[in-house]
Amino acid sequence: MENKEVLLEVKDLQITFKNGRREFVAVDDVNFEIYRGETFSLVGESGSGKTTIGRAIIRINPTTKGEIIFNGKKINGKIDKKLDREVIQKIQMIFQDPMASLNERAKIDYIISEGLYNFHLYKDEEDRKNKVEDALKEVGLLPEFASRFPHEFSGGQRQRIGIARALIMDPEFVIADEPISALDVSIRAQVLNLLNKLKKEKNLTYLFIAHDLSVVRFISDRIAVIHKGRIVELADSEELFLHPLHPYTKSLLSAVPIPDPQIEKQKKLLVYDPSMHDYSVNKPSWVEILPGHFVYGNEEEIAGYRKEIND
Amino acid sequence: MEENKKLTDQELFSFVEFDHDQAERTGYSEYSYWRSVLRTFSKNKFAMALVIIMLCLIVFAFFANSTARFPIDEIHRTDKLLSPDATYWFGTDTLGRDMWARSWYGTTISLKVAGVVTFVCVIVGVIVGCIWGYVRATDRFFTELYNIVANIPETIYLILLTYIMEKGFWTIVLAMCLTGWLAMARNVRNLVFMIRDREYNLASRCLGTPLPRMISKNLIPYLVSVVILRMALMIPNVISQEVTLSYLGLGLPATTPSLGKLLSEGRTKFQDFPYLLVFPSLIVSIITVSFYLAGNAFSDASDPKNHV
Amino acid sequence: MERQPILSAKDIEITFSMRGKYLKPIRKCSLDLYEGETLAIVGESGSGKSVFTKSFIGMLDNNGSITGGSIMFEGVDIAKYTKESDWLKIRGKKIAMVFQDPMTSLNPLKIIGEQIREVIELHQGIKGEESKQMAIEMLEKVGITDAANRYNQYPHQFSGGMRQRVVIAIAAACFPKILICDEPTTALDVTIQAQILDLIRNLQKEMGMTVIYITHDLGVVANVADRVAVMYAGEIVEVGNAEEIFYDARHPYTWALLSSLPQLGVKGEPLSTIEGTPPNLYQEIKGDAFAPRNTHALRIDFIENPPYFEVTPTHKAKTWLLDPRAPKYEAPHAIQKLRDKMKK
Repeated sequence: MENKEVLLEVKDLQITFKNGRREFVAVDDVNFEIYRGETFSLVGESGSGKTTIGRAIIRINPTTKGEIIFNGKKINGKIDKKLDREVIQKIQMIFQDPMASLNERAKIDYIISEGLYNFHLYKDEEDRKNKVEDALKEVGLLPEFASRFPHEFSGGQRQRIGIARALIMDPEFVIADEPISALDVSIRAQVLNLLNKLKKEKNLTYLFIAHDLSVVRFISDRIAVIHKGRIVELADSEELFLHPLHPYTKSLLSAVPIPDPQIEKQKKLLVYDPSMHDYSVNKPSWVEILPGHFVYGNEEEIAGYRKEIND
Repeated sequence: MEENKKLTDQELFSFVEFDHDQAERTGYSEYSYWRSVLRTFSKNKFAMALVIIMLCLIVFAFFANSTARFPIDEIHRTDKLLSPDATYWFGTDTLGRDMWARSWYGTTISLKVAGVVTFVCVIVGVIVGCIWGYVRATDRFFTELYNIVANIPETIYLILLTYIMEKGFWTIVLAMCLTGWLAMARNVRNLVFMIRDREYNLASRCLGTPLPRMISKNLIPYLVSVVILRMALMIPNVISQEVTLSYLGLGLPATTPSLGKLLSEGRTKFQDFPYLLVFPSLIVSIITVSFYLAGNAFSDASDPKNHV
Repeated sequence: MERQPILSAKDIEITFSMRGKYLKPIRKCSLDLYEGETLAIVGESGSGKSVFTKSFIGMLDNNGSITGGSIMFEGVDIAKYTKESDWLKIRGKKIAMVFQDPMTSLNPLKIIGEQIREVIELHQGIKGEESKQMAIEMLEKVGITDAANRYNQYPHQFSGGMRQRVVIAIAAACFPKILICDEPTTALDVTIQAQILDLIRNLQKEMGMTVIYITHDLGVVANVADRVAVMYAGEIVEVGNAEEIFYDARHPYTWALLSSLPQLGVKGEPLSTIEGTPPNLYQEIKGDAFAPRNTHALRIDFIENPPYFEVTPTHKAKTWLLDPRAPKYEAPHAIQKLRDKMKK
């Protein structure tokens, strides 16, 4: 990796939700770095905490312990107004459900320029209109769409409007929270291409949250696999697919449907059983087995993984 | 199929240049929410009839009030307790006053009270309700306030307030405003609770949208149909409260004939002179029932699932 | 294949009246279903695949109706049914449906055991303890451990995947001939999805059912299907064996579907995509509905809707490209790769 500047760093993050007296630890002991210019994917099932992490970075969810450091500054917890404003402009989010993430009662024109209005990032009305038009064209939509309402558009188009809304702010870091899960399979390619194109053009960094490993292979540079609030494996995407080590990663990979009847029909499904780990005596830790390839496990398991790699 | 004959097979089966814009143009569905609401509502013939009756009644009330032949407090000593006839269309009361003029005057008073109270309660209730529901920090305060205040029936407050204050039009309006906004605020707060964490609101938060615009652009448009329904139900409610208060001799001064006053006056002589009660009650009933039914029909019409 | 189909839909047309206008979500669809097979219907949202199958069990919304064609099932044209009582003889009993969202398919206020038992009681007339036993057996069959106790639990006490198993149990409780699964795994995680697909496959073998899968995920199709029908804008544009569709697709829409899969993507190069958006049903469609988005469109595609052309006795596609008068064309790169695979 040429440009190894760390844009976002997450250290010992813990997020706990309180429901009356009951506490629920959604995310625990999470550590990772995201380098400028890369696409970093966070993959896990629903309830694994991946969305919670994304929302904590953009400050929708509060954090309980740990730090989130962006461009060298801590951005979780209480921060001053200036930093808050900086975070809003530089970190943006693309949401999962295109049907729910747009304000049904507002015109596309308003939806896209909402961020501009908030910080008065335009010179005059004409400048603003031009910005909206450019944003629409960038995502492959027609400028005439600005005067219409969201319900007139399909899922894929709505998602692109959501992308335009985020990118008109000219951010550095974009969190894409399952941006294609709710779309038809045939539309997914459109949106993925668009995300890649925009990344190159605007020099963006992505945190891509997904539950489908097949998608992330194509788009990401590095992948972290998360299970029940804890990251269990992290590696370059090719490395992860060729040499998965943690049993959960292996089961995720085996479950991914492959569009090839001959392969699919002969596939064997691996099931992950969390109780296979015995952490009562030997405590697990986060170990770098190969350069850039991290796994979570205790000494015994790590030894086993090393053996696997050497074979 | 003349077109086909003109083109040769060769031309028909030649490849066409791909047009990106054409692929994108879906031809929108031309669905306007409010137009659909109006159309669904107007399909309900019964509700439309009620709305028309109601509007006619309201307009007529004001018209009749200003064109009444006799002033409301003019006493005709020789024409006491007359049944409806050619001169006195609704008859006269115990003091010989024209019931027609009194009834319509009373109607306009009741409508004015209802109008002002509803308007104020809606404005205050919606704004407070939005803040209550959206800003988590205020929830505790308002909920405690609500719990304390709401446990005692509104009527008691109204009786207390109108008893303390001087009698007058603005007294009764003020009293009802003070007690009425809370219920609306609570209702709005519950609705806001349901929508505050939807993704489009999260998106607005991520973009740094300030509270006033969150309320006006993100929350209120979704509340409008419910608020209108509550307004429609509030009007007959206010009228009935006014009737109650006037019945008890509170609120409006003794000289002002409101519908409630007329009902209370007519009650005693009902057996022998039914017309004293019949006309005011008929007016109250029509207004109440129409607002109530039309309000419900509007609520049904504003549910997008019924827009077929 | 000289077998007789157990369900045969011919030239089905379905019309909806919506906000004063008429829509045709299904424009002349024909489909044959053979006993014991698994048929997958693939299409985007709005292609009409759900509406089409809902017409088999009379579950169209109130504003929709079958305005043309016939559905022959057990010697009767069920498209002509208008009374609920007729449909009740088929729905749940002979043809059952599993929907996408298990949370809304189950009654949150009833224990799940009851929800299975009442289906058995309704269709098979068995009451009391015997039907309860059958329900418990059904729960075990779908892989719910400790079935006797879990019989008394409510839907919210189950996870998403478990709930879907319960829904499948309800659908299969009466040993229907045909099971229609409308995107049964779209709302589930990948690992759970694989388990549910396995479950349905096992049940099918055990109970001798014929299964129709509705999905937009070609990975799922590859896993389960014997035959595949591809739907676009209310028509079936291509139908054939799974192998024929995957390795020898002929319709440009199928090409586009296959080549836009992220799994086939090469890093650093853009994925091939289908441009644009499916047609809005409010519009009048002239010619081939896929023409505006078709990179291999012919002039005649915009004028006249193509008929079916046969590729093999089991494989046909509705595209002018198969007409003998059509010029030679190159299938997209990704499709060539798949074809090469087939040859090996």
